[in-house]
Amino acid sequence: MRPKIILVDFVASIKSWYRSRGTLFWSLLFPIMLILIFGAIFSGVGDTKYTLPIQDLDNSSWSHTFIDTLSNISAFKIENLSVNENVSAYIKDKNLAGALVIPKGFGDTIAKSFIDKNVSVNVSFYYDPSSSSASVIQSVISSVLQEYNVKLSGGNSIIGITQMSTIGKNFNYIDFFVPGMIGFTLMQTCIYGSIERNTKYRKDGILRKLLTMPITRTEWILAKMLFMLFLSFVSTVAITIVGILVWGMTVNVNLIMIVIIIANSFLFSGLGMIIGRFVKEEETADMAGGAISFPMMFLAGTFFPLEQMPAFLQSFAKILPLYYVNEGLRNAMIYLDFDKAMFNMIIVIVFAVVFFVIGVLLTKWKED
Amino acid sequence: MIKKTVRCPSCDNVLTFFGEPGQVIKVTCPKCSAEGKITFEKTYTPENTAIQVSDLRKVYGDLVAVDDISFSVKKGEVFAFLGPNGAGKTTTVEIIESIRTPTAGTVKIFDRDISTSFNEVKERIGILPQEFHSFERLTVRETLDYFSKFYKKRADIDEIIKTMDLTSHKDMLYKTLSGGLKQRVGVAMALVNDPEIIFLDEPTTGLDPKARREVWEVVAGLRNKGKTVFLTTHYMEEAEYLADHIAIIHKGKIIAEGSLDELVNKYGQGSILHIKNCSTKDALGMIRERGFDAHTEGNGDIAVKIDYKERVLEVLSILRHDCIEYDSIDIRRSNLEEVFLSLTGSKLGEEGGEA
Repeated sequence: MRPKIILVDFVASIKSWYRSRGTLFWSLLFPIMLILIFGAIFSGVGDTKYTLPIQDLDNSSWSHTFIDTLSNISAFKIENLSVNENVSAYIKDKNLAGALVIPKGFGDTIAKSFIDKNVSVNVSFYYDPSSSSASVIQSVISSVLQEYNVKLSGGNSIIGITQMSTIGKNFNYIDFFVPGMIGFTLMQTCIYGSIERNTKYRKDGILRKLLTMPITRTEWILAKMLFMLFLSFVSTVAITIVGILVWGMTVNVNLIMIVIIIANSFLFSGLGMIIGRFVKEEETADMAGGAISFPMMFLAGTFFPLEQMPAFLQSFAKILPLYYVNEGLRNAMIYLDFDKAMFNMIIVIVFAVVFFVIGVLLTKWKED
Repeated sequence: MIKKTVRCPSCDNVLTFFGEPGQVIKVTCPKCSAEGKITFEKTYTPENTAIQVSDLRKVYGDLVAVDDISFSVKKGEVFAFLGPNGAGKTTTVEIIESIRTPTAGTVKIFDRDISTSFNEVKERIGILPQEFHSFERLTVRETLDYFSKFYKKRADIDEIIKTMDLTSHKDMLYKTLSGGLKQRVGVAMALVNDPEIIFLDEPTTGLDPKARREVWEVVAGLRNKGKTVFLTTHYMEEAEYLADHIAIIHKGKIIAEGSLDELVNKYGQGSILHIKNCSTKDALGMIRERGFDAHTEGNGDIAVKIDYKERVLEVLSILRHDCIEYDSIDIRRSNLEEVFLSLTGSKLGEEGGEA
């Protein structure tokens, strides 16, 4: 293996890349556009019905009235949570966006407020920061509370709201979305890059020409993977910078994130090789790539959390490699839950090894 | 030194001559003074042979694409592999280039069996695959530079650009080039390692006549530089214009092989002299009397078969001596088209199909 040859091919690939408006668009501008558009859309409101468990620690007539008021709001489906339930765990188990806890003394405080306008009590809103619905639920609860406060005291904040993130830090939708966007963009880049090399290059005679030249398959594959890694990191950096500058994200760069990005490049390059092996026409292979990557994009929790999908689709997501890429990147870059990040990283590596090895084994340079 | 025994076409006298391989000598029959030409066939030795193909066979399911063919390509010659589409040309050349694996048979390049030693040969050959398209977004210069970097031995890229007449296009992106220019770049790419053998698989298919001729000039230039060129084509004209040696492949078999002269003399009608609008009665009889194979053609023309060029003068002297009256004469040599027709019973069309 000669590093010089790998470098020669790498440089040629980069030249071709920056001269191609199409690939520049798909690998850089398109994901950035999506972040801007989706970020803007999901900072607004959805109109679906949200399940809201309420744990009533007060169990007074005041708390019952409050719960009734919330039940009358069409957006909510209220569940009563027993006093012994761990609220955070419940939200996670049931994949819910949030839950409300009415503290003990809720009714007493309201009763006192008729005499003393300065007393106050806070309900606690536990929520999953990765869920785009959480902020919607919270804003509805807040407006109900405001109405209560006006009725009770003419405007004093007697009932307030405390946010209790199930992860412990304040995250919003864009924090969820950006890592998914990275996973998705890298998947597309690698699948289509790989398909191009295995269909277009075959049709154009480039693979036949290479066969007759002093370059080994290993050198060629390494050169191409080096280029894929380059593209992956360029896209990641561009997307992350937009996330930070436009949406004020806090992003942690660490080894797990880098390993996931590298493994991701091998994983989807391997998948592209497998597609290119079975679908020989370039256009059809591109369509096959789309048929695999688009559903994967929607089902693997790229644009919206899995919990918004029906249960059977949620379990289906668990067999999709992109799901683990997305989850791994989220936990490594944003939530800083390194146990989860590590777990997802290992799964991504296993997928990568399997897909890449199968891809390389299936890809033939020789003609029949 | 080779010994060759021939029979005089005029008087059937048996004659023996000696010569070197490839040599052509003029001879005169001592008995009847008829003049003629003797060619001593080239013999193939490992030293002068570039490619040797023996009993090559390639089978796809029920289809025999290449049917036990054997041939040799001499160093320094332009070897044309001529045949219609689907005859097995590309399959054969791609087996020689080690892109496909044969079902049976051996291929030797520079006396090395490519099934085991192709890597040793790679540095010494250059290839233009069929319907080749290079990387779209590299310039001509970058493309040649890219491909040259893989080789130990490198030709001067600027020199190649100059000889291929690509100087004014060297900074253009490959995808913006015309079909003819792309093919020229393709040939140039096959030269970046200064190879000894250049394989050109249908280099002019799909080009307009002008672009085709430009590629021909390039190939002729390669021969002048002493390169061995293996050319596949379905254009008769291309083989006639370029090739030193032609192998005609049809349905997976080589049906004829030799120089253009050899093929035309063996399978064509040779040269025909037409006497236009001959008004002298019995002119045909007078010509036949002198031992010529002649016949009339409907419109008063007489066609005389010419075995070798010296006999043209004999016909002319008959015309003059016997005061035969005519309008004009012309001589037409039969071409590969006739050779192909007489061998296969069909014509080879412009698109490479048989008709």
